[in-house]
Amino acid sequence: MDSVVFSGVGKRYRSLWALRDVHATFRRGEVVMVIGPNGSGKTTLIKCLLGLVRPTTGSIRVEGQVIGPDPGYRRSIGYMPQISQFPPSLTIGQLLDMMRDVRGLSPASADDGLVEELGLAAQLDKRLGALSGGTRQKVSAVLAFRSRPRILVMDEPTAGLDPVSARTVLDRAAALRSDGGTVLITSHLMEEVEALADRIAYLQEGHLRFLLPLSDVLRRTGADRLALALPKLLADPV
Amino acid sequence: MLTGQAVARVHLLRAGNGSLAAVIARAEDRDTIVVAGAVREGPITIDRSLCLLGLPGAEIDGGGVGDVLVITAPDVTVQGFTFRGARFSNLYDNAAVKVNGSERPVIRANRFIGCFFAIYLSDVRGAVVEGNSVEGLPDEKDRMGNGIHLWKCGRATIRRNLVRDHRDGIYFEFVTDSRIEDNLTQGNVRYGLHFMFSHRDSYERNVFVDNGAGVAVMFSHHIGMRRNRFLHNRGGSAYGLLLKEINDGEITDNTFTDNTTGLMVDGCNRIKAEGNTFRTNGWALRLFANATACTFSGNSFQGNTFDVTTNGDLKLNTIEANYWDRHIGYDLDRDGHGDVPHRPVGFFALLVERVPYAIVFSRSLFVALLDRAERVLPSLSPADLKDDRPLMRPPHG
Amino acid sequence: MGKVLYYTLVDLARNRSVVAFTALILAVAEGLFLVEADPVKALLSLVQVMLALVPLVSLILTVVHTYDTHEFTQLLAVQPIGRRAILGGRIGAMALALLVALLFGLGLPLTVHAPGSTSMVLLVAVVLLAWVHAALGTLIALVHRDKARGVGVALVAWAGFVLLYDALLMALLFAFSDRPIEPLVLPIAALNPIDLARIAIMIRVDLAAMMGYSGAVYQQMLGSGPGTAVALGLMIAWIAWPTLMAFRVFRRKDL
Repeated sequence: MDSVVFSGVGKRYRSLWALRDVHATFRRGEVVMVIGPNGSGKTTLIKCLLGLVRPTTGSIRVEGQVIGPDPGYRRSIGYMPQISQFPPSLTIGQLLDMMRDVRGLSPASADDGLVEELGLAAQLDKRLGALSGGTRQKVSAVLAFRSRPRILVMDEPTAGLDPVSARTVLDRAAALRSDGGTVLITSHLMEEVEALADRIAYLQEGHLRFLLPLSDVLRRTGADRLALALPKLLADPV
Repeated sequence: MLTGQAVARVHLLRAGNGSLAAVIARAEDRDTIVVAGAVREGPITIDRSLCLLGLPGAEIDGGGVGDVLVITAPDVTVQGFTFRGARFSNLYDNAAVKVNGSERPVIRANRFIGCFFAIYLSDVRGAVVEGNSVEGLPDEKDRMGNGIHLWKCGRATIRRNLVRDHRDGIYFEFVTDSRIEDNLTQGNVRYGLHFMFSHRDSYERNVFVDNGAGVAVMFSHHIGMRRNRFLHNRGGSAYGLLLKEINDGEITDNTFTDNTTGLMVDGCNRIKAEGNTFRTNGWALRLFANATACTFSGNSFQGNTFDVTTNGDLKLNTIEANYWDRHIGYDLDRDGHGDVPHRPVGFFALLVERVPYAIVFSRSLFVALLDRAERVLPSLSPADLKDDRPLMRPPHG
Repeated sequence: MGKVLYYTLVDLARNRSVVAFTALILAVAEGLFLVEADPVKALLSLVQVMLALVPLVSLILTVVHTYDTHEFTQLLAVQPIGRRAILGGRIGAMALALLVALLFGLGLPLTVHAPGSTSMVLLVAVVLLAWVHAALGTLIALVHRDKARGVGVALVAWAGFVLLYDALLMALLFAFSDRPIEPLVLPIAALNPIDLARIAIMIRVDLAAMMGYSGAVYQQMLGSGPGTAVALGLMIAWIAWPTLMAFRVFRRKDL
């Protein structure tokens, strides 16, 4: 089943095309790792899906519906941003309440399991302005999983997290895949995510160079790790 | 009847029992006529030296034909009446009490209601006008004459009167050696006090409030003005006090508050202004460059939009040792005087002098900066217009 | 929108800059009344200071706040709520925060030291000015991506309102002083919200009498019901257009 479909999506910032004619289909029950050098268009791709950026060309379907100004489709999307600058004077608890209100979740329907698992339960009264980068990242993770999304977008999910917490978060993402969810992850730290990835989307200068199963990538290049496979792929594009 | 020394008699007139004119006709010099009730009769002429006393509630209503009471004899006293019925006229100065060519009249403690002119003295010496309440018609101000009007008089005393809602409150023309004290004039259409060609007069402790154009003193010399208060005389051409062509005037310890222009000095010589307080006026002092040998010292300028403006330079005048709330200075030798001169004419004041409408920018930040810059680096303001010894504190605390 | 407004307000209530702004206004107002024994004079100085200070601080506060909360805005924008609700909530919260700051910082000293209609007009005018500049600040921050640039533009805008506009208008007034442009000066000045506020206050204090006949006319106009309505209408227009523009920009903005 297709969950997210990009059809000819391009995005131009003034004279620069950050994304060009991307066709991609993301299915249910898979984890796709989006990789590429800095400025390759990873962030723009994600932002288009999240509705932060309006594509210049093409369209995106989420669960069959073309996304537009109606924010309703984002009900099924969870987003874990990279190190959020939260309102400094709110407490973690207030932020959680606010985001639950904004999403229209009832306390019962929210998935607050991560609050316990990441050890945030005792820190609910702490002000967001006083948190370390790692703790902020944990809060981001909680927010992303809370609404039990069917599509999860994670931007550098393990950056700043201690190994145990990173594991917890990635396990959660894996569980979501098992439940039929779609997970998009961008990351520089390939090893951690690699184990999870079903397919690899590789972006370069705004073009989607390939979207292939990880095993294909490794087999074609004869490498046993993605990090080693990449240079070969770049030298000899598919 | 005795010859020689007459015996003063007292006549009692109850309104309705005979006419006042008839009683006057029967009376002789130094007699007293006591009136009770409302007399409706006029004009009445007093041609002998009588004392006319009204009992409480006594009234004389001229009925609108000419003057009400005309005094031609010396030493007449009119006291305790309410006067009405001196009507508006384009031809005649109809007055409630008119004194023509007489001496020492005393007009005291009367009330004048809606009279065209209330008290009108013409060619009179030694008059005393005191304790009267002169009330015009607030709704028909345009048709009111002057409240207390003196023409060609000498040694008059105008004291403790209230004049409101007339044209001029108190009007002096060719009046010499007279005093105006403790009066209140309020809400008159033109001037609260109007002085023309009148010399060696003084006025003290009067209050002039809300008059159309304030107080004007013109073409006169040796005038003393002390401890008066000029309040809230506002309008396009309104002044607290306008001095025009005045020589040898003395303006001491007066207060000018909330006037469009506090004190305007035009064509004056040897004016001495000391100890006056100018507060929250539009222009506190407008000094025309045709002034000579005028001295301003010990005055206090506070909260005015403009402290001093002029249309030229003021070389021949002295402005020294006044208190300016705008002065930014210091007093290192602690003699009570600032160590740097104060230039009271701001840049903005000069602009407004040229283009009056620039006043729209009053108290805008831009103007404040211009003024500040001008004070630091004077380039436009008249070089000689400065106070070399500004007071550090207001003289009156 | 209500939720965004509520939580933004909760955040702003403890925001150091907002608290500092309140304290600054309170200190300036109290200080002027303490230093200046005469309440009328203090009020006049207060008019001058507040009409410059409040727009500046409102602008900078809003611009900086908008940039500083950019990531949070992003986080909100990926939730299933519309852009309008997000911006509405944020602008509303900022407007309320400024209102409370001014009621406390300026309203309190005015009530204590100089109660009266002029103080009322000053307070209302300053609150409206704060809103005008909050709206402008939001718009500026949305149009310019770079924070330093946004702050720069805000400063220029402020200088324009408070200095350049008056300087230009005054230059015009002098250049054409021999032409009958006088009747135009006040209406043109009133197009600038800061000038409008200043004139609306000063017309009650010392302007009218000094402008002669037309001053009296203007006093009647601005001091009367319809005049007040026109002045209020202009102020509301100054709040409305940047706000509407901000919504337009934000609706299609790439975050």
